[in-house]
Amino acid sequence: MLDGAHGDAARWGIEYQQRVGTFFDAVDFTPVRLIHISSDRETIGNSGIAFLRELAELPPEQRKPRAFAAADFRGFDEETFKFLLPGRDLAAQSEEAVEALADLGVATSHAYINDHSVTPPAFGEACGYSGTPSVIYMNSLVGARCNFEAGPSSLAAFFTGRVPRYGFHLDESRRATHAYRLDFTPCNVAEWGAVGALIGRALNSYWSVPALEIPDRSAAILSLNHMALNLASFGSIAMFHIIGVTPEAPDWETAFGKPAPDPTVLTQADVLEFLDSWGGAGEKLDVVALSTPQLTITELVEIAELLDGARVHPDTTLLAYAPLEIKAAAERIGVKQRIEAAGGRLVHGHDFFATFAKEIRESHNWDRLMTHSLKVANICAGYGYRPRAASLEQCVKSAIAGKILP
Amino acid sequence: MTPQPDALIFRGHVGIGSPVRGVALAASDDFSARYDLDRDRGVVSRPAHKLYGESYVGKILVLNAAKGGVASAWMLRDMVLAGKAPLALLLNNANPVMAQGAAFADLPFVDRFDTDITQAIRTGDVVYVDPVQGCVRIETRSSG
Repeated sequence: MLDGAHGDAARWGIEYQQRVGTFFDAVDFTPVRLIHISSDRETIGNSGIAFLRELAELPPEQRKPRAFAAADFRGFDEETFKFLLPGRDLAAQSEEAVEALADLGVATSHAYINDHSVTPPAFGEACGYSGTPSVIYMNSLVGARCNFEAGPSSLAAFFTGRVPRYGFHLDESRRATHAYRLDFTPCNVAEWGAVGALIGRALNSYWSVPALEIPDRSAAILSLNHMALNLASFGSIAMFHIIGVTPEAPDWETAFGKPAPDPTVLTQADVLEFLDSWGGAGEKLDVVALSTPQLTITELVEIAELLDGARVHPDTTLLAYAPLEIKAAAERIGVKQRIEAAGGRLVHGHDFFATFAKEIRESHNWDRLMTHSLKVANICAGYGYRPRAASLEQCVKSAIAGKILP
Repeated sequence: MTPQPDALIFRGHVGIGSPVRGVALAASDDFSARYDLDRDRGVVSRPAHKLYGESYVGKILVLNAAKGGVASAWMLRDMVLAGKAPLALLLNNANPVMAQGAAFADLPFVDRFDTDITQAIRTGDVVYVDPVQGCVRIETRSSG
C-alpha cells in the first residue's frame, strides 16, 4: 500500500495509520470488516468536507473501499433546525458531509450504530468505530475489539481494511485496572450516567478499565449505554467490565487476570450529590434537550405520557431527538402527534450538542439547559450553557413548569 | 547552541510532527477541542477550566490528559488551517483521538513524559519541542 499499488487513498491511509500506530507502539495491523464514520457536520468542519471531496475526485480504482463503512444520522429536521439556527442552513451543510461520504462508498444511513441496524461485530472481532459511545459499547458489551478510530482514522481504515494493533486489540489492555462496587441500583439513566461520570472523572485515562459490581447483576442496555458514554465523555475511557454481566468478566479474577483489589464503593449519596452540584433548582428553564444517545421508542412513549393533558411552558423549548426511523415509528403510533400537541419538538438528525449548540444558545439567548444525558451537560457547559442533568421525568415536568424542578 | 542543564529537558514518547519553538500556556487541566474551546475566537471557553478566557493560538499548549471523543480528530486540522490552533500540544497522557487529530493536522504533539509536564513547564516559558526525539527543552524561564 505504501508504494501506491493499492491506490492513492490506501497510500494516504496506511501512511497516516503508521504515524498513529508508531505513536502508540502498535505491534502491527489487524484486519477489520466493519467501520463506523461519524458524519456530524460541526465536527468535520469545512476543511474536512474539502478533504473528503478531494478523495472522492480520485478515480474509483484509486479509492477502493476495503471494509464496510456506515455513517449515522443522515437527514435533518429542516423545520426545527430553521427554528434553532435561523442564520445557518444546517440541512444543506449536513447534506454536504453526507454526500461527500456517500461519494466515497460509505453507507450513509439514518441509523445509530449501536442499534444493530448495521450487522454488529462478533465477540473478539476487530473493528474500526469512530464514535466513542460505539467503541466503548463494542469493547465492553459485545466483546469486539476497537480503539477510538476518530474521523480521519476510521476513513483511513475504510481504505486500508485494517487498523493499527495496539490498545484494546491486545488482551493485556482489556483487563480491568480499577475495581468499583455500586451499593445501590440507579433509578434512571441520569443516575447511571452519573456513575459513569464519577468513575470517568476519577480515572481520567484512556488506558484505565474499570470493573464494576452492581447489586442484582442486571441492568438495561440503555442504562449501561448511558454509563458507558459518560465514562468516555468524562474520562476518555473505552472499556469497562460489569462482573457477571459483560462477556469478559464472569468474575473478578477473570476481569483483572489476577486477584482483584478491594473495590471502591459508590453510593447513591455520591450520585445525588454530583447531580445536585450542577445547581439551578428553581431557576427559569430555557431549553430541555433530550438526546445522546438518541431516544428509543419507549422513551418517546414515556415523554408523550408525561405530556398528556399538559403543555410545555411558553418560555421553554422541549427538544426530543430520535433517529428518523424511530421518529416515523412514533408517528405511526401517534406518539409524535401527542408530543407536538403539547408543544414539544421531535427532532431527527444529529444530536443537540453536535449541531452548533453554541450558536443555538447565542441565537436564542439561552442560559439554563436541562437534559437526561450527562454527556450533553458536560459538553454544553463548554458552550456557555448552565446545564443540569436529571431523570427524563424531571426534565419533562420542568419543561412544563418552565423552571428547573428540584 | 549553549548546552542546557538536564533539569530543563524533559523526555516523553516519540511524538508527531516537526520541531517548533514557542511560548508555553500551561495548566493542570485536561483538553478537548470540542469540550473546552471557542474555536472561532481561539480561546478556552469552559468556565471551569483553569485557562478560561485565555488565547491558545500560536502557543505551546501544555495540559494533563486528552478527554472526550471523536471531535478533536477532525477539529485540530480545521483549527490549523484557520490559523486558530496552538503551535504544539504537550500532554501527560494522550488518547487515540488526540494522536489521530495531531497526525491529520500535522500539529506537533508529544506525551508520556518522565515528569508531570504541567508542573515542569510554566506559562510564559520559551520552549523547544522536538516530537521526533520525543523531548522538550525550556530555553527561557518565565519570570512569573
